[in-house]
Amino acid sequence: MKRYQFLLRKIAWSFFTILFVLVLNFLLFRVLPGDPARAGVRDPRLKQEAIEAIRVRFGLDKPVLNCFQSLNPLRLGSCTVNPLDTQFFIYIRNLLHGEMGISFHSNRPVADILTERLWNTVLLIGAGQILAIVLGVVFGILAAWKARTAIDYAALISSLLAWSLPTFWLGIILLFWGSSQGLPIGGKATPGLSSLPLLQQWADIGRHILLPTLTYTIVYMGEYMLIMRSSLLDVLAEDYILTAKAKGLNTFQILKDHALKNAMLPLVTLIAINLGFTVAGALQIEAVFSWPGLGGAIYEAVARRDFPVLQGAFLLIAVSVILANLVADLTYSTLDPRVQPE
Amino acid sequence: MSTKRSISLLVALSLIVSIVLSACGGPATKQPVVVRIGWAGSPDTLNTGTAVLAEAWSMFELVYDSMYNLQLDGTYTLDLADSFTTSDDGLVWTYKIHDGVKWHDGQPLTAEDVAFSYNFYKDNVDFPYMNPYTYYFATVEATANNEVVITLTEPIPNIDYQLVFLYVLPKHIWESENPTEFENTAMVGSGPFKMVEYKPNEFVHLAANKDYFRTPPLVDEVIFQTFENKDALVQAIKTGQVDMITEMPNTAVEALRAEPNIEVVTGAPFAPEVTDIIFNQCTPESCPVDAGGVCTGHPALQDRDVRLALAHATDKQKIIDVVLLGLGTPGLTLIPNGLGMWYNNTIQDYEYNVLKANKLLDGAGYRDADGDGIRDMPDGSRPLTFRLNWPSDSINAPRTADLLSEMWGQVGVSLEMQAVDPDALTAQCCPAFDFDIMIWGWGSDPDPNLLLGVMTTDQIPTGSSETGYSNPQFDALYMQQATEMDKAKRQQLVWQMQQIVHDDAVYIIPFYPDEVQAYRADRFTGWITDQPKLALEDVTSLLVVKPVNK
Repeated sequence: MKRYQFLLRKIAWSFFTILFVLVLNFLLFRVLPGDPARAGVRDPRLKQEAIEAIRVRFGLDKPVLNCFQSLNPLRLGSCTVNPLDTQFFIYIRNLLHGEMGISFHSNRPVADILTERLWNTVLLIGAGQILAIVLGVVFGILAAWKARTAIDYAALISSLLAWSLPTFWLGIILLFWGSSQGLPIGGKATPGLSSLPLLQQWADIGRHILLPTLTYTIVYMGEYMLIMRSSLLDVLAEDYILTAKAKGLNTFQILKDHALKNAMLPLVTLIAINLGFTVAGALQIEAVFSWPGLGGAIYEAVARRDFPVLQGAFLLIAVSVILANLVADLTYSTLDPRVQPE
Repeated sequence: MSTKRSISLLVALSLIVSIVLSACGGPATKQPVVVRIGWAGSPDTLNTGTAVLAEAWSMFELVYDSMYNLQLDGTYTLDLADSFTTSDDGLVWTYKIHDGVKWHDGQPLTAEDVAFSYNFYKDNVDFPYMNPYTYYFATVEATANNEVVITLTEPIPNIDYQLVFLYVLPKHIWESENPTEFENTAMVGSGPFKMVEYKPNEFVHLAANKDYFRTPPLVDEVIFQTFENKDALVQAIKTGQVDMITEMPNTAVEALRAEPNIEVVTGAPFAPEVTDIIFNQCTPESCPVDAGGVCTGHPALQDRDVRLALAHATDKQKIIDVVLLGLGTPGLTLIPNGLGMWYNNTIQDYEYNVLKANKLLDGAGYRDADGDGIRDMPDGSRPLTFRLNWPSDSINAPRTADLLSEMWGQVGVSLEMQAVDPDALTAQCCPAFDFDIMIWGWGSDPDPNLLLGVMTTDQIPTGSSETGYSNPQFDALYMQQATEMDKAKRQQLVWQMQQIVHDDAVYIIPFYPDEVQAYRADRFTGWITDQPKLALEDVTSLLVVKPVNK
């Protein structure tokens, strides 16, 4: 019963956080300066009537909230308008229908744009994260077990180096090296191959994803390695490990049965949180490798004041992070018996 | 013979037979000839009505036809129409559409489609670029004789310019679609190229239309691939992943020129661009208070002598060398050199002469009253310290601003420099006129009418005028050239207008940037590089390029 109460409370908290994010999301983009109808377009052909018509089409002529016509510039309006006809409630109503609005820039539904980009990002970051986790954990274990030897120092220095490299710089270096070896320079797939069998298409995507994944892995592996190493070192210093060694257990048995289970706890939390941020995409990598992911979409949308896309993307990221945190919380409390469900 | 031997003999025989057969199998499938083009942008949408970005228009030029073609030297030639007649009063234009033109889906293109398209653009007020082109159209109708009859509200001298970008759309596809929501990913047109595949922000894949009613392209396919950053573009052409790139950072030009198989070419951009240094000259009388004008401009800028002195203190060639790495020409007025015959190239620019500038300011009474190195107003009330703003997304403006600060410092003028968010800058600029000096720019199209209009008195309250300049003589000439039917006479009027604004030092135009493109000389040949404008991605080049013979 206690466990169910705990679970329910966590889920309820997450739900309210998401609601809060929804409202904040909306207000944030209405408070930013700029009229999306004129964003960036400086051309004498754009007449006032066209600007007005564009604003009407996007519903920007409606009041933001009751009593507020617009937030930036701050203009008060009528408090007696039908609340369902304000931008805020139209936004909520659309969300309930699963619609995230229409992009100001391309007139496409935001949900379509984000879905396309989301899968591309998940593919890239997913591959990168998995490799980073596996390699980071392995090197972390190695370094901790061989603490204060040459292997440890080498692993430590190279991890710190890798983690501190600017992502875009490493990306550009790998791009230049990779392209001279015949790897593609960017993009997700070579255009014009959609008539080929699926296997060949995937092989093509594989060639394109190689360098960005490599960049991601190198940079993020360091973080996992360091956490794993320090966590394992803590555990290995415990008395019961000494006992295990005295009992005559070999390395593998000690690690498997005694050390790793305890050392993995901080790592599990870290992995869950990082996976939450997966959705935000690796902006620098996507920009360097022209990978059509969510990070790139956000970057372009910011430049163009494409608020619906930004709203949709931020909502996606927030929900993803909140859910990941929820999973981390629950996993941690399941794995660690010391954490009592209150 | 034993069974084993006969079996192995049979196997060997069938092996030999199959090898022989496969060798003289059918003709090997011909590999299509594909031109790969790399660029750093991407169409915003394939809907001809709502599209705003130049990349989208590049696609439309390839896939659709219109009544006229705009050549790279600025002249117009008939495209979809074989001939036309005008009524005596210049109000009724009748175009005879070429017979036998087909849409990419096989349906015939008739005057019905043309009339539908023009009315479509006319009826949708929120088509940002297309709708204004139909401003003078009273009615557009199709006749049974495959003719389109356009009746204007008043005679205009440039109907070719109004029609050249009104892409003709297939009525049978567009009449049932929502005008602004239709994504048009199939892009059924009548032009020399047709759509194969479109991935937004990734690539556009086109194939040649072998049934094109004029000479079809010599290549089979064209692919436009989007790269998120310009360094990747440069690398792509070096490694041969693309055959041509439409832009590059100026810093890469030398390196690319040194590559053996790459040709770098420069010229005026196809879509005219001008960078301008804007002086707020709005006087209290001309301030558009009703439209929200606050007019906080520094009073010194209303004095022509001050603007003239600043013009003499500006070393345009140095700005070009530093900011554009030499890839530009010194500017004159708001009308850029890419506008061909409309550009007045006889205007004598103000020479870079700091001594002259200082003398001018001394003579006009702007002396340094308090000895701080900065000149003050003649009555000593304010120093000549100007706010200088530019949009924060501009690549060239920050460096230009630095140089201006240095140069103008030599004549006792100081600048308070600040990059501003583009939308906030728009709110400051016009019609609020809440600034002193700005560095900004305009995109334009081939007719000078719109850019000239920016400097008229009428445009002060609308937000198009960024200087608040008001000259009745200029306004009168503007009305005249808008209706002058004789091209030569109109050119004289347009040239006169440019001389006037140059004399009044309304703007300082530091440069007209060059378009810089590159292609692989070992892949395709026939790129059009000898015209005043450079646009290798335009239909003019893509129609005639062919693979290099090995």
